[in-house]
Amino acid sequence: MSLKTDNRAFGVRTEDGIGDAFMRGAVGSAQDSLKTRRLTAATTLGDWERWRELGQQIRQHTLENLDYYLGQMADNVERRGGQVFFARTKEEASGYIRQVIENKNARKVVKSKSMVTEEIEMNHVLAEAGCEIIETDLGEYILQEDDWDPPSHIVAPALHKNRNQIRDVFADKLSYQGDETPEHLARFARKVLREKFLEAEIGITGCNFAVANLGAVNLVTNEGNGDLVAALPKTQIAVMGMERIVPTMEEMEVLDNLLCRSAVGQKLTSYITVMGPRAEGEVDGPEEFHLVIVDNGRSDILAGEFREALQCIRCGACLNVCPVYRHIGGHAYGSIYPGPIGAVITPLLGGYDDYKELPYASSLCGACTDVCPVKIPLHEQLILHRQNIVSQGRTGAADRIQMKAAGKFLSSPGLFGSTLRLAYSMTKLMSRHGRIVRGPGPIEGWIGIRDMPQPVKKRDGFRAWYENRERPDGAAAETEVADRTARTAGDLKTTEVGPKPGRDVSVEEASSRIGRGGDNA
Amino acid sequence: MTTSFSQPDKRNPAGSGGSNRDAFLSRVAESLGRPRRTDPVQRPAWKHTVHLDTLADRTTEQLVEVLKEQCTFIHTQVIESTPALLQRTLDDLIAGFGGGPVIRSGDPRFAEYGLNFPGGSVWSPDASREDNVRRAEAANVALVFADYALAESGTVVLESRPDQGRALHFLPAHYIGVIQRDRIVPRSTQAAAALNRRHEAGEALGSCINLISGPSNSADIEMQLVVGVHGPLRATYVLI
Repeated sequence: MSLKTDNRAFGVRTEDGIGDAFMRGAVGSAQDSLKTRRLTAATTLGDWERWRELGQQIRQHTLENLDYYLGQMADNVERRGGQVFFARTKEEASGYIRQVIENKNARKVVKSKSMVTEEIEMNHVLAEAGCEIIETDLGEYILQEDDWDPPSHIVAPALHKNRNQIRDVFADKLSYQGDETPEHLARFARKVLREKFLEAEIGITGCNFAVANLGAVNLVTNEGNGDLVAALPKTQIAVMGMERIVPTMEEMEVLDNLLCRSAVGQKLTSYITVMGPRAEGEVDGPEEFHLVIVDNGRSDILAGEFREALQCIRCGACLNVCPVYRHIGGHAYGSIYPGPIGAVITPLLGGYDDYKELPYASSLCGACTDVCPVKIPLHEQLILHRQNIVSQGRTGAADRIQMKAAGKFLSSPGLFGSTLRLAYSMTKLMSRHGRIVRGPGPIEGWIGIRDMPQPVKKRDGFRAWYENRERPDGAAAETEVADRTARTAGDLKTTEVGPKPGRDVSVEEASSRIGRGGDNA
Repeated sequence: MTTSFSQPDKRNPAGSGGSNRDAFLSRVAESLGRPRRTDPVQRPAWKHTVHLDTLADRTTEQLVEVLKEQCTFIHTQVIESTPALLQRTLDDLIAGFGGGPVIRSGDPRFAEYGLNFPGGSVWSPDASREDNVRRAEAANVALVFADYALAESGTVVLESRPDQGRALHFLPAHYIGVIQRDRIVPRSTQAAAALNRRHEAGEALGSCINLISGPSNSADIEMQLVVGVHGPLRATYVLI
């Protein structure tokens, strides 16, 4: 698998997702359960905002000194007898891994879950070299057996599949004869994979955090597969995105706490391991240990306005609250990194040519920003992407004309006012019972999935009501003046008639409020 | 494949310390808009101490209660015993799990408490890697002593040593961790700080540090929790 998981157009992918009722049900209930668990875990801990600020500060400090910490990490891994390879590109990274395996004349590879190995297309390169690669994370194993179906969530990769589909995959590919009970399916996988662990020559893991002063790799898991990958094969290759590093175990501990709570609502996952090459005198663990540090576009991100995206600790909390992810599912993003963080980093790693639609796959409600444990301003970065896409002239001609027209219209009070006056009669033929029921392109698209109230007559509108409303005392003119003064003074108390703008109110919610206002008038 | 990788050394493809390290790190420094930083970087004063403060004021007795409560959430049974009763407690547990084979670490505390498991085996550097792994794979029960226990998360912390391998914690079906009350600390903060202090004082830590919180589990199928995936199917802590 590469970064790109689907070559079809964005529109086709989203249609596919929206049309998949099972997937939407599964994503919806997974989101509900994961976000409740996250919230409970954060609330139980208390002081969550301070924890987030601490996490953000640690990530930012590390990124600001990344060259130093990576150098320190490499020195310490080598001091412990491991080898370090710095890979500028994905080809260098997967090429090195292939070389290590070929040098050992090895064929049997077991692997624990790692997003960066997907990014560097490692499985593909190793399969070409004749290796048998086994994904040992249960979700990833299911996907592999289903002919490498792409993951749809960074923490729960097989979220889009139901138990019956999984039973069928196991029955077809592995002659499984049991039922669809998750426990039976998992026990079966345990048995099959236990053999694979025991006979594997090479173990490949990802890296949640590299611990620089120790020269060790930190893995955070629940199944125990990552630990077996690092215990049994005589050679281990750990692959890390270059930004995934912390100064010491003390900072690792803070980030692991944020990660576990944000990802799955656990205080700590079952297995948190800090590992390196086997030490002198110890019995198991890798006799040969390689750490592959991958850039693959990250240094460009570090240099630019999206640096904060590199703070990401891959918890997936932003996916679990995203209303767009909920409806279109992970596959629609066409990237191994879906959801809000995927919409931010995929265009950075894969370019706007392939991914210019992703920053628009957001309602900009900001729920992602609010849950991010390391305070990445996700929705602001999506706006930044949109600005870049527009200023680079990557939007279609129709979009540009529409936006130009809207700009003219909205910046001219005269034009705006007269349109409001005429809006009712102009939309009369398009409306029935106070709702618009047909219209040109963009309106058709809107009313296909939700209501659009017909504009009201001017005398029934809010402005008219506001002018003529009953007042406790004093003249209309006085209030008018008072309001204006208040507005200039920045004191909005007297003019606050609706919800505060900003990210307290989602776009959907705001538009539904506007809709209600129209109905009532 | 790029030029920097076109002539790999067959024995050590990374070359001496990775031939592309300097170019890579210089590019990172360039992205940060400054020269390479090689002098030791001091960690800043972190703006919050929430990790240090959480549960810091609890007594050992209170921490035991926190630990016990947390274990009810992570499918882990906690049994309170005493040094005098420990052998009996462990024997009963093993019998309850259907008996042996038992494999234990070579921790000296087994001898200190006079523990014996006839017919059981010990993870040992005197046996081969294959032999140790084979015995762990065949074992029904693993027995270990925790170096630290974390009350908040219901965790035992263990370091790899010649007489305590990595696979010992993962291959057997049942996992029993003995926790001495005075090894209980509030949370992961204290264990991480202690380990880091030891490392910075020049002590060689084990090549693998495990923080284990209950049995292995997965929710990869329809988000339904399955306890017992690749690692142990059950975990039990014995408090003494």
